[in-house]
Amino acid sequence: MWTTLRRSISVSAVQNARVSETRRPFAILEDSDVTFLQRLLGNRNVVTDTDDLQKHNNDWLNVCQGKSRLALYPSSTNEVSEILRYCNSRKLAVVPQGGNTGLVGGSVPVFDEIVLSTHKLNRIHEVAELTGVAVVDSGVVLEKLDQHIAPMGFAVPLDLPSKGSCQIGGAISTNAGGVRLIKYGSLHGSVLGLEAVLADGTVLHGLNKMRKDNTGVDLKQLFIGSEGILGVITQAAWLLAPRAAFNSVAIVGCDSFENVLKVYKNARGDLSEFLSALEMFDVDSLRCTEENLVMKNPLGEYFPFYVLIEVQGNNHGFVEEALHSFVEKVLDSGMISDGVAASDGKGIHDLWQCRERISESIRLDGYVFKYDMSVPLEKYLDLAKLLKPRIDGLAKRICVFGHMGDSNVHLNITAEEYSDELLALIEPFVYEQTVEMGGSISAEHGIGLLKKKYLPLQRDVQWLKTMRSLKHSLDSNGILNPYKVI
Amino acid sequence: MEDYKFLFKVVLIGNAGVGKTCLVRRFTQGMFPPGQGATIGVDFLIKTVEVDGDKVKLQIWDTAGQERFRSITQSYYRSAHALVLVYDISSQPTFDCLPDWLREIEQYASPKVLRAVVGNKIDRDDREIPTHIGEEFARRNDMYFIETSAKEADNVEKLFTEIAHRLTQEARASRYSTSGPAAPDLSQSPSKSDNPCCKMLQ
Repeated sequence: MWTTLRRSISVSAVQNARVSETRRPFAILEDSDVTFLQRLLGNRNVVTDTDDLQKHNNDWLNVCQGKSRLALYPSSTNEVSEILRYCNSRKLAVVPQGGNTGLVGGSVPVFDEIVLSTHKLNRIHEVAELTGVAVVDSGVVLEKLDQHIAPMGFAVPLDLPSKGSCQIGGAISTNAGGVRLIKYGSLHGSVLGLEAVLADGTVLHGLNKMRKDNTGVDLKQLFIGSEGILGVITQAAWLLAPRAAFNSVAIVGCDSFENVLKVYKNARGDLSEFLSALEMFDVDSLRCTEENLVMKNPLGEYFPFYVLIEVQGNNHGFVEEALHSFVEKVLDSGMISDGVAASDGKGIHDLWQCRERISESIRLDGYVFKYDMSVPLEKYLDLAKLLKPRIDGLAKRICVFGHMGDSNVHLNITAEEYSDELLALIEPFVYEQTVEMGGSISAEHGIGLLKKKYLPLQRDVQWLKTMRSLKHSLDSNGILNPYKVI
Repeated sequence: MEDYKFLFKVVLIGNAGVGKTCLVRRFTQGMFPPGQGATIGVDFLIKTVEVDGDKVKLQIWDTAGQERFRSITQSYYRSAHALVLVYDISSQPTFDCLPDWLREIEQYASPKVLRAVVGNKIDRDDREIPTHIGEEFARRNDMYFIETSAKEADNVEKLFTEIAHRLTQEARASRYSTSGPAAPDLSQSPSKSDNPCCKMLQ
């Protein structure tokens, strides 16, 4: 069976408007490789069935369709090390995969790379009740950890819509952001230590559990956000956050972007230590949820812009009072003319749905071109404004929403279906404009496969050269997550 | 930013479904929202009215009626200038709950607060609470009384105008009396120059 496979793979190339890759000269999987790996992991941890491989070969956005013939489920660091040692010696390419919830095609095979799934690396090793430092395997699902630590009074310092399926290793590898980054900061701060396996099987033991640790080059930082091209994260020591017992959420409507900025400034100032999310969405996003998901405008009127503000704390009175005072202030001073606030579970949930279900509603339009940029806050709407005249008539909708508190904008262009013509009008234009205004072409989704060709817009030759030399020094055969990032 | 002479906080309370949101929408937007769902938490709206030539801003809190369990309620009543207690004239239970709401008001609101009781939905022909019963309740509890129909826009404008009027009179009185309580302490309208949020974006 491998002979036919070999022929089909040897001519493989992916060529479309978004991705242009030719298979690199990695070895091709042999029966003997499968036998070796089966002996190492046990048959049940080696997947070769085409149907079972489907979920590993496909991206949930369906932008990438790999042709991997093998997925592995190691359950210990040692097994990961053995797998990589073997694959490196055979020059077999490997794609590390967590929950496969990425948005840039970083976690799926492009050709026949072996999928190294962290699915069974799923133990929570310890949680220090006093300090809240947790040591966990990389395959632990974010929500599972959160549920585990809730009774101890802790919360994971990361909140993502995909929390029910995304894994901690994947979140760290992509330096995931989410709605609470404004409160908890980035993973570069909360991840205290990592254990990672290099391409040749070397295990880097760096599970530091101290908050402060200035002992030479902080190697763990290299693995945070490098999307699996430098090594496979197997364990992490993570500083958890104290769990807030009470939340209050408000959505306010603004009739101008100038007022949105005033609300932002005031929220940061007035709510400072309570503020746990500051999100915005435009009326096109809201209308999309109304049309596609039968959701309701949380306010009695339509406004061009909506801002969602969440506060958290352990004194219900303070939390609710702080938010109400804030809403009163922005109302009285004319920054808004309508707002709604809730402090009960259902109300909070309903208000969050207005923001959280936008992505889902947008997908129901047909096809979505998704962009995740950091931009100077005062230029938050500029990309959409610049794009509008270019794609008028071709696009169905342009929706702007995102983590405004972190200057992170999610720009979504929907159409009935994908078209090269529309893509060509959006890219590279939207990336060039982002760089021009001093932003970042990837705020929190990463580079993966989809944004790879635009990385040189953001990073100069010297920077890219240094990235490549780092990659080469840690993975000289280039077997780890090839075709991604650089 | 528009200028105004006084700013008053008006809070609507009462059972779920009595039409608080409809009253507020009728007043602020001149419309009767069809198929209105339950209000989430509290809805904040602003509406400027004119009282004897002065611009008066009403900051209206439209609260969720079904939210019967609240661990803290002070925030709703804190610094409220007027409390509007609404019932549905076609629903005896909504009227029967008024004493419970009054107890809550007495517990949390300032004793100086202006209190109104409103029988809504007079457009309906299945009335259960005769007008005089509502009136009697209001008189006994020293409250302003009015019956309204948000649907037909009956007395809605009058309700809020009356509240604005009474509060303005009170505010003026306390403003010019040296010994009086510093009632609506919102009589100073913010001006462009000293408002920090205007400054920051210049």
